Amino acid sequence: MSLLILAVLVLMAGAGLCLLPTRNAIRAGIGLVSQAISTLLACSVGIPVLLGGPDITGEIRWAYPIGDLHFRLDALGAFFLSWSLPMTLLGSVYAVGYMGKHLSGPRHLGVHFALLNMISVSFLLVYTGEHAVTFLFGWEIAALAAWLLVIWDYPNEKVRFAGFNYLVSTHIGLIFLVAAVMILYAHTQSWFLDDFGAWMSQNPGPLRNTVFLLLVTSFGLKSAFFPFHSWLPRAHAAAPAHVSALMSGVIHKAGLYALVRFLLLSGKPDEWMGWFLIAFSVVSALVGGLYTVGQRDLKRLLGYSSTENVGIAGIGFGIGCLGLTWDIPALVALGFGGGLLHVLNHAFFKCLLFYAAGCVYQVKHVVDLERLGGLFRLMPVTAVCFIVGGVAISALPPFNGFASEFMIYSGLFSGDGVGMWAKLALALVAAALAFVGAVSALSITRAFGVAFLGNARDSSLPEGHEASRWMLVPMGVHALGTLLLGVAPVLGFALVAGPVTLFMRTLPDASAVVSLQSTVDTLTRIGAISGALLLAVALIAWFRLRSRGSASGATWGCAYDAPNSRMQYGGTSFSTDFAHRFKNIMVLVKRRKAPIGYFPTDSYVITDCVDAVERRLYSVIGHGDDSATEVSARMQEDDPRLAFSAGLAALVIIAALVLLAEGTLQ
Amino acid sequence: MRMTLSLLHWAFVLLMPVLLIGVINRVKSWWVGRKGPRLLQSAFDLQRLIGKQPVISTTASPLFRVAPYIVLVCSLLAASMMPLLGQFAPLQFAHDFVVVAYTLGLARLAMMISAMDVGSAFEGMGSAREASFSAYSEPALFLLIGTASAATGMTSFSDLIGFLHGTPHYAIIVAPLVLALLILLQAEAARVPVDDPMTHLELTMIHEVMILDHSGPDLAAMQYAAALKMTLYAGLIASLINPFNPVTDPAAATLVALALMFAVAVVVGCIESLCARLPMRWVPAYLLIASAAAAGSMVVLGLGASGV
Repeated sequence: MSLLILAVLVLMAGAGLCLLPTRNAIRAGIGLVSQAISTLLACSVGIPVLLGGPDITGEIRWAYPIGDLHFRLDALGAFFLSWSLPMTLLGSVYAVGYMGKHLSGPRHLGVHFALLNMISVSFLLVYTGEHAVTFLFGWEIAALAAWLLVIWDYPNEKVRFAGFNYLVSTHIGLIFLVAAVMILYAHTQSWFLDDFGAWMSQNPGPLRNTVFLLLVTSFGLKSAFFPFHSWLPRAHAAAPAHVSALMSGVIHKAGLYALVRFLLLSGKPDEWMGWFLIAFSVVSALVGGLYTVGQRDLKRLLGYSSTENVGIAGIGFGIGCLGLTWDIPALVALGFGGGLLHVLNHAFFKCLLFYAAGCVYQVKHVVDLERLGGLFRLMPVTAVCFIVGGVAISALPPFNGFASEFMIYSGLFSGDGVGMWAKLALALVAAALAFVGAVSALSITRAFGVAFLGNARDSSLPEGHEASRWMLVPMGVHALGTLLLGVAPVLGFALVAGPVTLFMRTLPDASAVVSLQSTVDTLTRIGAISGALLLAVALIAWFRLRSRGSASGATWGCAYDAPNSRMQYGGTSFSTDFAHRFKNIMVLVKRRKAPIGYFPTDSYVITDCVDAVERRLYSVIGHGDDSATEVSARMQEDDPRLAFSAGLAALVIIAALVLLAEGTLQ
Repeated sequence: MRMTLSLLHWAFVLLMPVLLIGVINRVKSWWVGRKGPRLLQSAFDLQRLIGKQPVISTTASPLFRVAPYIVLVCSLLAASMMPLLGQFAPLQFAHDFVVVAYTLGLARLAMMISAMDVGSAFEGMGSAREASFSAYSEPALFLLIGTASAATGMTSFSDLIGFLHGTPHYAIIVAPLVLALLILLQAEAARVPVDDPMTHLELTMIHEVMILDHSGPDLAAMQYAAALKMTLYAGLIASLINPFNPVTDPAAATLVALALMFAVAVVVGCIESLCARLPMRWVPAYLLIASAAAAGSMVVLGLGASGV
């Protein structure tokens, strides 16, 4: 425990010291060194816990209303900690390259690195906090630090708006979380998560259901499940690339951590909870996936795919819940194991993709698919990293996304002890997952094909070259991780086995260990197949790229011999047919200016895929505002009848609430 | 025993693509009153292509040279897990059908990316069509597998197809499942009415337009992989109908599988001779028939289990 406290202190000291020196390079250096030290400290504590060591507990005495602060690092917390901190460190390394031109500029970079340190502090608090106040405190630090990181480019009004949007959304989530904690505190008179869990596992009923729904809403907002995702595409598009990467891959996984933590605490869930979680997640995966198709902005596209991927992980957690309800160890192992493994895998490939997008932005200063093209020749390393991440995110072998989705599929199709209609419903979920996989393959083909292949579409963009080493090294590490976890998913499962065992212990049955072994065997086989495939591809590449026995010529233009690069198939043309089939879900806004007159000067058509939820939200708020103004304009404030009736209505409502609460709240 | 069956399986995998294409072309020739090409004509075509020097677009990246062989390797890997002779596949383990679907998915991704690689508008269009049509057809395969897995309680691809014969509602659910697979075959192997392999206009192509810039051995790999994919689906249909178990009754199972696969090829050829390609905007609806058929068999199964 003392090592973890030391890690927090090092991070805080680093954050403070970052602000002092006069040169940006030194500020960044202090940030990186303090992050590296604390990462080492935290991992040296966390990894043994994860691999089956005893939990680490600690206690800090605090003043009255809060009381003693308890900390405990168990396998679940250690799992999240063991990759969150190293990835934040990699993100900070990337930041040095991404912020390269500011190193000698007038902007104070110290604040940026201090905030990155605070993100790591928040992980240490959230993943070890046993006391609701520490948990909420860490939660809030992460939210505020992420907001300040997003608005790095604050002179731009759009960025400020995106940041504000994020800030409001995340605090709406906090309100739900606080409401749930208030209910739990009212019944347990305790701040400890363990006591919350004891109460929840012993009191199934409407109040527990309310708490469950409040928590799912709050964590859904944090992890950007549909329909609580509307802040996400804006924030991801506005933030610097490493901040988007960390938010999507690491910071918002805290929402999923909290979800899994409460599921673990609350004992045997009701059956509807599992189905609800599955349905909620399937909708997220479908809508998130569909929205990636229409996006022109590469980073918005990647943002929506986060919604898709938390949905996929959520399907796993839902299956695990059903397993807990039905007492089927195999479902628990495959569901929670697959879900958690997908969380880890997503962190690897999503950061990789965002980093690659950041390299593109740094070179070209745009990430608009309609203006990019032919980047493969310019920046081959970035391109290869992007396609590795892209194949992984489409859950295709031989990379890591496939292993975790395979586990989730195995959960959906593992039939023993499941009723016929439930089996069929799970098969429907599998079909939806297959659709999501195909859709994400579509958007990755589109993004990679349009941005990196073919010829450059816009010659007005700067020429540029491959990104700096500071950026390539973190990308390389992520790409290697993606590959390694694909070829040896057993390594990933070794990390996940600890948390899964925690779930197994809540089952009455003791055959749990056996079912974990069969999962390990399956994953080994999957890894072997992926490895064979990868080897085959590598051999092919080696032979083909060495052989010189080919002639080169122009692309066949179907007998048209004056094509130019604007005639290539663009991002919008690629997706328009598919997107129009789903125009009830996706809002496609077309802005056009037709050519007018004999010598038209300017004409354009721009198709944008805007967020339906956000649009609806704003229109409701706008209408609500108008109608409130209208009502208040019609009211005469000094009319006593109005005042009396309002008072009476308030009394009736309060009386009704008291009467209703008599039964449940006491 | 398993060894012999594996050899037979691989013989089917390697030879049937050529033969099935031959049969389809022969059937199509009969319908229009021609004599038609030799049954092994496509093998000679492949041999001719392999002997040629490829021409590669100056726009293409290194991915373009590698992609055709990724497509081929992925299709072969999928072939090792697909039941062709009935309840048997050389590589067989729990939930192997997910690996089959996703390796074929990787093959598709490689093909689409190599099409985007040369910067041609036509090939981009083909790639977009392939991507969106595959999204409509993918759920059908999983619904079909879900039906079979719920009915049999088995987990590996060949078991859940093989054991389906013994389930009480086999007679009712086999028809919609075969229909779904036939539609999937037409979509995945680029046959009429989804796509027309004989068309001469690039605007109306899907598969052919994606390989416009491939030549020589690269083109041969792509074409062989496409024919192989058709063989796999034809083999799946054959296993769904084939009443013999190859492990207990190898000769009968092999012969029936052979006959059924040729029958599928004849059916595909007849459909191709009698129908025109659908307009592109109707293709998604056609592909949804496959999902609907598979979902229908699921409902039959559920009602059956509830005792209706």
